[in-house]
Amino acid sequence: MLKGFGNILLKEIKELVRDPKILLAMLIVPLIMFPVLGGIMSYSMQAAREQAEKATLLVVDNDGGNWSELFTEYLNFSVKVSVVNNRTLNNTVTLKLLSDHNATQLIEIPSGFSANMTEYKNGNTKINATVNFYGIFSGGGILQEVGSAIIDDSVSGFNRLVAPNAVYTFKSTIIKGEIQKNVDPSILSRLMLSQAIAMPITIMILLTYSMSIAATSVAMEKEEKTLETLLTLPMDRFAILMGKLSGSILIAGVGAIAYMIGFNYYMGSIMATIPSGTLDLVSLGLAPSLLGYLLLGISLFVTLLSALALAVIMSAFSEDVRGAQSLVGNLTPIIIIPALVLMYLDVNSLPLALKILIYVLPYSHPIIAARAVTMGDYWTVVFGIVYVTVFTLVIMYAASRLFATEKILTAKLKFRWLRKHEKKPTKELQ
Amino acid sequence: MSSTVEAIDVVKVFGDIHALDGLSFSVKPTEIFGLIGPNGAGKTTALRVVSTLLLPTSGTVKIFGSDVVQKAAEVRKIIAYLPEEAGTYRNLSGWEYLEFMAKFNTKDKNKTREMAKEAAEITGLGERLKDKTKTYSKGMKRRLLVARALMNKPKLAILDEPTSGLDVLHAYHVREIIKRYVKEQDVTVLLSSHNMLEVEHLCDRVALLNKGKIVAEGKPQELKENFESANLEEVFAKVVGLA
Repeated sequence: MLKGFGNILLKEIKELVRDPKILLAMLIVPLIMFPVLGGIMSYSMQAAREQAEKATLLVVDNDGGNWSELFTEYLNFSVKVSVVNNRTLNNTVTLKLLSDHNATQLIEIPSGFSANMTEYKNGNTKINATVNFYGIFSGGGILQEVGSAIIDDSVSGFNRLVAPNAVYTFKSTIIKGEIQKNVDPSILSRLMLSQAIAMPITIMILLTYSMSIAATSVAMEKEEKTLETLLTLPMDRFAILMGKLSGSILIAGVGAIAYMIGFNYYMGSIMATIPSGTLDLVSLGLAPSLLGYLLLGISLFVTLLSALALAVIMSAFSEDVRGAQSLVGNLTPIIIIPALVLMYLDVNSLPLALKILIYVLPYSHPIIAARAVTMGDYWTVVFGIVYVTVFTLVIMYAASRLFATEKILTAKLKFRWLRKHEKKPTKELQ
Repeated sequence: MSSTVEAIDVVKVFGDIHALDGLSFSVKPTEIFGLIGPNGAGKTTALRVVSTLLLPTSGTVKIFGSDVVQKAAEVRKIIAYLPEEAGTYRNLSGWEYLEFMAKFNTKDKNKTREMAKEAAEITGLGERLKDKTKTYSKGMKRRLLVARALMNKPKLAILDEPTSGLDVLHAYHVREIIKRYVKEQDVTVLLSSHNMLEVEHLCDRVALLNKGKIVAEGKPQELKENFESANLEEVFAKVVGLA
């Protein structure tokens, strides 16, 4: 046994356990955060599942034969099917039919389907019976694009039941109201997966990292006893705040770029294993435009600013770097929860209460914005920017008030319920 | 002669503790005035109020006629404050630290350099100013900080325990800096110390603080004579009834 090890260990444990901020960040936050997160996720998943079960598959039967009827009946085992007959499908008609039936997926059984099936069954395997599948791409989370997979399963099941490879599915995806022929929604979803995962994780890490830097920069001034001197200099105190925020943003920005490059490489290596055929996101209109990138950048910037200002305010309530880190660590749940929820689900598919919660949390908005710019929904992004800007202004005002008063020196979070036996500090009174 | 600092009936309350309890004193121009007393007497709180860091709960403090609450920005232009436990920026060199601080007083690059140069001389640290301050001893840091506080020739220098924790040599050096600078630059100094013997040799006048109140005030020699004591420690003990 190392000489003195036990003594040092005991001292360390005492110091850590007796610091209420650490206790809060290390024990209480995880104990609360993960059950809450689990509850939210299971609630969201349940809602998504119920939504999927209620979802209607629209079948446009332009064949009207026995085989088309049998095929429709088979589909009805897996999904709720709504049938319309004899419609010539073009862009407008397809969209109207989907809208009228509140559906996001449509299968057209073309004329000649039953005849081709009969031929195939009679041994002419050179003839396939094709169906045309149309799925609306919503740009949602990982769990959003399961619809086309269900259709694939149903068609495979039908083929197994009737004759191998009898029915061939010709797939199209409806992107931003336009039918994109020969684009498989499930392959597209897999391609977009990198964004669905990358943005929430990037934003989550960027925010926690930069908040940690901002909190450290103020706490360091307190710990190194340089803040008092700064506050008595002939300068605008708001300049101290802005200087700290700007410095943190710069460092966080560089960190974010380095992180995104690394993460992009990581995702790229994963994506290389996914067969994407000839899909090109730019030609499908799924690459953000210059305006989209600009709005996304603004959204990210204002969110970052609000997070940093909040970190600065919180760090003002601690006396040292460790205390500041612990305090800012308490904000982790409000960053992680929206990131994880939005990684799996589209905000529009969430139950109302959760949707409101996600919109209220400012850290959701860059994630929502990332998806919205891909889909060309700029108003959602603008709304987010306005909301986060107002939130940021409120935080900045509070931070500037804090710096303008003696509170920046004297403010301390009191955990009286955790330190009943502690005596009052007298350091202020020397 | 009008006062440099005029504190009238200053009260500062933290929760249910009265850190300052009707504190009144005045400091004359170009004198070194010492607030002395034991730990917890209210010295630091008094200096923080004078230097615009803390707001008085009641009472007024004026510096050259400017109220420290109403005209805090004006006051900050004419004072320099050295906190008791002041630190430096670890990764800046001593010279960089002085330049950084000088830039708050002037935008002129030449003046900034001159100011830093003068402060560098005051420190007496020579070539060590090129090193990062994290490599400095406590005494070296304190010399740097005292020089910083005096570099812009403030009308009032507020020094909280300027020699606290320093060895004899460094403490001597810091005291010499203060004395010389006051003489050369007509600076007024308000300082605090719990080292009563040291203050006796440094201050023109002193005020003895106990429990947030001034219990005696005057020139060190006068106080010693009035209380028939050999030094200020004895004076303090007699005033608070310990002796």
